[in-house]
Amino acid sequence: MTGSGFWVLQFLNAMQFSMLLFLLSIGLTVIFGLLHFVNLAHGALYMMGAYLGVSLAAMTGSYWPAFFLAPVGVTLIGAVLYFTLIDRLRGAGPMNQVLVTFGLIFVFLDIVRMGWGDIARGIAVPQLLAGTTRLLGVDYPTYRLFIIVLGLIIMAALMIILTRTQIGAMIRASVENGPMASSMGINVGRLFFAVFCVGCALAGLAGVVAAPVFSATPGMGVAILIPALIVVVIGGLGSLQGAIVGSLIVGFLQTLGAAVFPQLAAVLVYALLALILVLRPQGLIPVRGGAH
Amino acid sequence: MYRQTGLRSATVLIILATMAVWTVYGSFYSREIVVEIAILAILAISLDIVAGYGGMVSLFHGALMGVSAYGYGVATVKYGVHPLPAAVVGVASAAVFGTIVGAITSKTAGIFFIMATLAFGQMAYTLIFQARWLGGDDGMAGLPRFDFSWLGVNMFNPQHFALYAIVLVALVYIAAALLMRSAFGRTLEGIHSNEPRMIALGVTTWIAKTRAFGTSALLAGVAGVLAAQHTQFISPELLHWTMSGEVLIIVILGGLGTLVGALVGAVIFVLLKHEVSAMTQHWHIVVGLVLIAVVLMGGRGVYGQIERWITGRKTPGVPDA
Repeated sequence: MTGSGFWVLQFLNAMQFSMLLFLLSIGLTVIFGLLHFVNLAHGALYMMGAYLGVSLAAMTGSYWPAFFLAPVGVTLIGAVLYFTLIDRLRGAGPMNQVLVTFGLIFVFLDIVRMGWGDIARGIAVPQLLAGTTRLLGVDYPTYRLFIIVLGLIIMAALMIILTRTQIGAMIRASVENGPMASSMGINVGRLFFAVFCVGCALAGLAGVVAAPVFSATPGMGVAILIPALIVVVIGGLGSLQGAIVGSLIVGFLQTLGAAVFPQLAAVLVYALLALILVLRPQGLIPVRGGAH
Repeated sequence: MYRQTGLRSATVLIILATMAVWTVYGSFYSREIVVEIAILAILAISLDIVAGYGGMVSLFHGALMGVSAYGYGVATVKYGVHPLPAAVVGVASAAVFGTIVGAITSKTAGIFFIMATLAFGQMAYTLIFQARWLGGDDGMAGLPRFDFSWLGVNMFNPQHFALYAIVLVALVYIAAALLMRSAFGRTLEGIHSNEPRMIALGVTTWIAKTRAFGTSALLAGVAGVLAAQHTQFISPELLHWTMSGEVLIIVILGGLGTLVGALVGAVIFVLLKHEVSAMTQHWHIVVGLVLIAVVLMGGRGVYGQIERWITGRKTPGVPDA
């Protein structure tokens, strides 16, 4: 392989991983910013998205119903969690939230093992996106390009919604000062629930999109949760721009690191996290109103 | 503020005595369970120091235990060091790792702290998992036990080994209780309840927190060496986040911030685990549901709740910050 081709390939791999991280960390960070709620079960929702996708694809014999329905299923799971646990824990302090959602990780781990078994389950790449596409002198799997494009579209859509629309202004106002937004006539509770659902749907989407590439495994939830948490800490809790910048940094560091220094790759991201925690604990792009 | 009350001393004595009696009169299987309880109890006591008294809920204590076990394993298997100095190497490597992570994370609080410890624990796991020299995911076998034959103790007799494990639990408990009663323990609790005030009093809080973490890691290291000697085999599983999670669950289940609770939690957890595992292989779902239930019921844990009933004394639940 030529030198430039190698780098194009690594760049595309890094982009694709960054987009998956973005889909996951955006939910994590906005839910934290809005609800001041730490949802460690977010990775489990991603995993549920992948497994629901596996089953839906098997039932319907096609990828696309899974693509659209798995996020809906995950949102329903999220809504159940919201009304049984999360709403109740809103004022209970971060430790209780962490412990309960940590317990949920264990619960979902076994639910998946019971329902789908311990082995990795894959989905076939949809017909439409099978094969490779020639891009910048390399043949790259079309499906992976689709992930990149999808991530970019959602990134742009969220940017526009949050910065240009009324609902975005309401969300930003509630993140900065919930009680004040509430007194201005914003139904903060309903807004919270809506945002929570969108976060769950994006986690489910990330899961079903990742399934054809990485397969669904019981360990995938925690495997992605940790880089997603690092993204959120690096970018700044509650910040959309932070999630974008953080996902790109972590995605590229991890992918390029694995290509250039295979021995060091696993440590690079953690070293960056340590650096950020020491030098800039509020994250690279913190939100105003300091959600702590 | 930590007090070694009569109720606490009595609970510890009863539990340790029951374990000893069970070891002497029980079967091979019961001795295995006693050692398992001992390992987790030591680890849970070490976690209770930082989580219960320091308010720093760590999610990488499994990694501390694993680092110590690997320190012991490398020293004995790779370099042929005598088990006693090798145990010091193991415990010291956990203490050093804990101190470094403690220093890095000491300025973070709440959820940042938890995320950071989770991440550093997984870092250690990944490093050891990938290290071919350490056996990677196959682990490392053939770790020796101590040789106490000059004391008339045969460490390869399961009964003797289980009694040795119980003695270690007692020693670790005494060390932790003395520590919590010292100025060091009081400072740690002061930082937990009001850090700005401790700073105003002239305490360099990040150093105090780092020392607390190093000390906790040292005790976790004892659990690591014991675990390594018990199975004489170590694998990266020791460092996996589920291990750290289980220890946290033990402390919460028993009663955070009581030290005795760590012991009570370890007993309940291990017995429950063996009961549930006998019926179903889906043990984690039970763990998760128990954790959720304990937190929703006020987070005081079994021992915390009992102590509250008996003495009317308020023991801290799960910290808010």
